[in-house]
Amino acid sequence: MSHFQVNEKCNGCLACVQNCPADALSFEDRGSKRVLLHNIARCARCGNCWRICPQKAVEFEHLLVGPWDEVVSMDLVRCSICGEALYTVSFQKTLSARLKEDVGALCPHHRSSVALTVLFRALSGEGFPERTKG
Amino acid sequence: MIVGKPKPIKEIAAFVSEFKHVVVLGCGTCVAVCLTGGDREASALARELTHPGLYDHAPPSFEVKTIERQCERDMVKAFVDIPSQCEAILSLACGAGVQTLAAVFPQIPVLPALNTTFLGALDEPGVWREKCRGCGDCLLAYTGGICPVTLCAKRLLNGPCGGSHGGKCEISEEVECAWSLIIARLTDLGRGDLYERILPPRDWSSDRGGGPRTMRYPE
Repeated sequence: MSHFQVNEKCNGCLACVQNCPADALSFEDRGSKRVLLHNIARCARCGNCWRICPQKAVEFEHLLVGPWDEVVSMDLVRCSICGEALYTVSFQKTLSARLKEDVGALCPHHRSSVALTVLFRALSGEGFPERTKG
Repeated sequence: MIVGKPKPIKEIAAFVSEFKHVVVLGCGTCVAVCLTGGDREASALARELTHPGLYDHAPPSFEVKTIERQCERDMVKAFVDIPSQCEAILSLACGAGVQTLAAVFPQIPVLPALNTTFLGALDEPGVWREKCRGCGDCLLAYTGGICPVTLCAKRLLNGPCGGSHGGKCEISEEVECAWSLIIARLTDLGRGDLYERILPPRDWSSDRGGGPRTMRYPE
């Protein structure tokens, strides 16, 4: 749904189109229909459309407070012990490549507890495990 | 854009200390972009102002709101909903926004949380620098796109003074000489002739010397 919304009072007079300083409003007459168009990338949200509309049809509040648009959805890595969300799979790959090391799926809390376990085992005579190199 | 710097927290706390409920109102345009007055900064300021160490008595309660433009009187009137228990508005807008709020809500004290600082631009991440004094008679066509009214400490219009050394201004080693920059830019542009042109004395009445300025559309 467009962020720019008009109510039923809009009569298609085009005052908003003619008075938009950012050229963010346009229209097309398609067959028997007049279609009002809005381009959010151009919109300066100056309120001139709302101010100028002789019908009081522009519901400008939708340009001030609106819902979140979903931009992208990516696979997520969670802590293998507690399930806390950590980062995306893609971010994990980037991080591993930069660190030249496989970053495990552990939250900070379990990362330190696992490290303590490794240290405890090493001190108990079991030795340090080999680090995985990416 | 208009750049504003936060006022010291103790100064703001002193403003709000006499009130019980304060609306902290962010502005979503210039000061949001320079990271001092947007919704995020309004929430952070409200949190910071609840610290009991800032007051001799119980801190006020705060409610955060943000509007896209605090400098548009009719939009503020239509879209900013101030609750009846609000005793003061703490605005994170520039001075234009604060004064617009004061005009729209004449019964409520409107307090500034920022010092409106300059008209500037983002030169590098996290660094905004002053670019324009809004003098009302732009000379940039003759000066290679570098403003001597803003960047020269003496506002000289026809070349550097004797305080220019090694491209720096005498007021500080960290301040570049505006005319040194202008000459370099005009040289790069192959427009040394513009430097030779003598700019006549300015009529500073278009600046603040002529009192508060007004623009009407159409002129």
